Amino acid sequence: MSENNVYLKIEDVVKSFGEVQAVRGVSFQVHAGEIFGLLGPNGAGKTTLIRSALDIIKPTSGKIEILGGAMTEEKKSRIGYLPEERGLYDDMTLWDTLIYLGRLKGLTPKTARERSEKYLRELDLWEARERKIQALSRGMTQKAQFIAGVMHEPDLIIIDEPFSGLDPVNTRLIKQLLYRMRDRGAGIIMSTHQMVQVEEMCSRILLINQGEGVLYGDLDEIRSRFTTNAVEVDMEGEIDSVQGVEQLVPRNGGYHLVLGEGVQPEEVLQRLVSDPDLTVERYERVEISLDDIFVQVVGGEVLNGTEEEAV
Amino acid sequence: MNKLWLVAKNTYQQRIRSSTFLMLTFGIPLIMIVAGAIPVLTELRAEIPTVGYVDQTGKMGAVEEIEYEDEILTLKSYPDQNAGMTDLKTGKIGGLLILPKDYFQGGIPRYRAEKQPSEKLKGALEKAVRTGMLSGAPSWQVERLEDPANFTYAAQSTGKRVSEGPAVIIRVAIPVFFAMVFVLAIFTGANQMGSVMVKEKDQRAMEMVITSISPRELVAGKVMGMTLLSMTQVAVWTLGAGTAVFLLFREDLIGHTLSIPWNALLWAGLLCVPGYFLFALVGAGLGVIAGDVTQARQLAGMLGFIGMGPLYFMGVIVNAVDGPLAVGLTLFPFTAPTIGLFRMALTEVPTWQFLTSLLILVGSLLFSIWLVARVFRATMLLYGQKLKPAEIMQVISQSGLSAAAEGKEK
Repeated sequence: MSENNVYLKIEDVVKSFGEVQAVRGVSFQVHAGEIFGLLGPNGAGKTTLIRSALDIIKPTSGKIEILGGAMTEEKKSRIGYLPEERGLYDDMTLWDTLIYLGRLKGLTPKTARERSEKYLRELDLWEARERKIQALSRGMTQKAQFIAGVMHEPDLIIIDEPFSGLDPVNTRLIKQLLYRMRDRGAGIIMSTHQMVQVEEMCSRILLINQGEGVLYGDLDEIRSRFTTNAVEVDMEGEIDSVQGVEQLVPRNGGYHLVLGEGVQPEEVLQRLVSDPDLTVERYERVEISLDDIFVQVVGGEVLNGTEEEAV
Repeated sequence: MNKLWLVAKNTYQQRIRSSTFLMLTFGIPLIMIVAGAIPVLTELRAEIPTVGYVDQTGKMGAVEEIEYEDEILTLKSYPDQNAGMTDLKTGKIGGLLILPKDYFQGGIPRYRAEKQPSEKLKGALEKAVRTGMLSGAPSWQVERLEDPANFTYAAQSTGKRVSEGPAVIIRVAIPVFFAMVFVLAIFTGANQMGSVMVKEKDQRAMEMVITSISPRELVAGKVMGMTLLSMTQVAVWTLGAGTAVFLLFREDLIGHTLSIPWNALLWAGLLCVPGYFLFALVGAGLGVIAGDVTQARQLAGMLGFIGMGPLYFMGVIVNAVDGPLAVGLTLFPFTAPTIGLFRMALTEVPTWQFLTSLLILVGSLLFSIWLVARVFRATMLLYGQKLKPAEIMQVISQSGLSAAAEGKEK
């Protein structure tokens, strides 16, 4: 990955609030054309990290490079932000709000109008454009704020819990928009608790806990790191032992098989299928979910060996 | 700069449509017009009755009719008060004027009637007495003595010539009018700045906005919008007041060549606009440190007190219009617009005083923008929390978000 493609570079950032260290030496990078998951339990320091990155607050120490250098007023037009703290101007109409915020992001009046119409139609808010913000439902306000954050089609997008309060249909609409922005080269940081969305959308993640980065890297690689060599099988017939299987646990009418080190699942499947007394109906490798990893890591159950790989 | 104007325009557009603005802008002149119109309408409807008079001085010649403002006042002479009172009681006359024996030694004439005399009747009676006292004099003499010494005044030091009559009223009224409007604008506009800033924070759009624009531009834009709003208000009031003055005094004004006091207008603009900006900025600052709208309004009360400040010194200023206190308050940025304009109505204020005052005002303005933006940046994410004085000092003295403010944010 070339330096030009690094849209956000955080190096050893520390942020203290008086005596309390909210962020403790966190480092990570976000690249162009990727959706990056920023995960962590409540109070882990995610928002502080985002605010530091956006120059809303100053870090105590460490280095932050955004879009190739220090934050400047000019760069603000290349950054989109949907903060955790939701709010728009209650007394303004949806249309006026978007034009105003779009113009503040450097759009011309004409482009602001065109983009507002485009995104309002896409997110099914066009009919509500003349309504005041205070008259919109929570979901509508959420979508409106999302539009305000991305309508200037920025290079770097930072979104905090983008799907909270949205129904599945609107969640899908927002996802499609994010995918499109990623495909045109935007770097997207998604801070969320919703692991399902992260697993579906993010290529890389940083998990922070108590201000420290505890897991960082490629999502598949992290998942494989936590995945045990096990399979689940549903079948007709009973087994006592299988060559290459260390542990055999009956579960839900089938078996949970823990394979020996170096044993390939395909080898075990071959042995089961070749047994005439058995009829295999389902054979599936057990993959640990991000949710489980999150609980393990945050719950302190992470293996000591993996912690040192985190930043 | 472009973004600053966007914020200013947005603030202006949002506030100008508000019912509060419309009520203050059009309601106040409307109340003043109604209050002014009532006596005028009463006057217009007043009829001039036949009036009796008793001349106890014995110096007044007989007067039977007087023409005054296109109406005729009929007079009836009585030898004594009792005779006059009898006719007054039976309604033969509508009023009885008694000139006392000591009239020429300062004795005050008495007027007996059921109804208070209208301004028109008062004028007609004055003309009647004048005519009676100058009995035998040619009419031109009587006419001329109605307005015996309408002189022009030339200032000895500058040689500036100022017309008397309506022109002098305008010379005095314009600075005083702008000084009063300035104070009023502080109450209706700058005082609202605190609430505007609290609302900006309360809407929770701050994080989005602040990643588009610098805190300084946001604060300056908000204040600029409110200043433009107040200027609109002042323009409406000035237009209303000008129209009202013209309608009420058109007969006095027509025929006079009025010299517009451009100097006063220039200094009114040069002092009042940055002066208002300064008050609005301080108002914004108070809003920034206030936790909620109620607290912002309480703090704005202090601002109103400062705005009204010059009025408390008016007695001293009038008595020593070029004294040290008057000069000091002309140079002090918060009192410069009001005191400067009041003094201008009473004396020739040296230009150096106005220039120095303007320099101090602009300097204070730039310092305030820096200060308020700094406090704003440090406290913009503190929703519903008020900073203590010690914390404010900490914010001002440290760069970035202060530990105190950060601690609260956390």
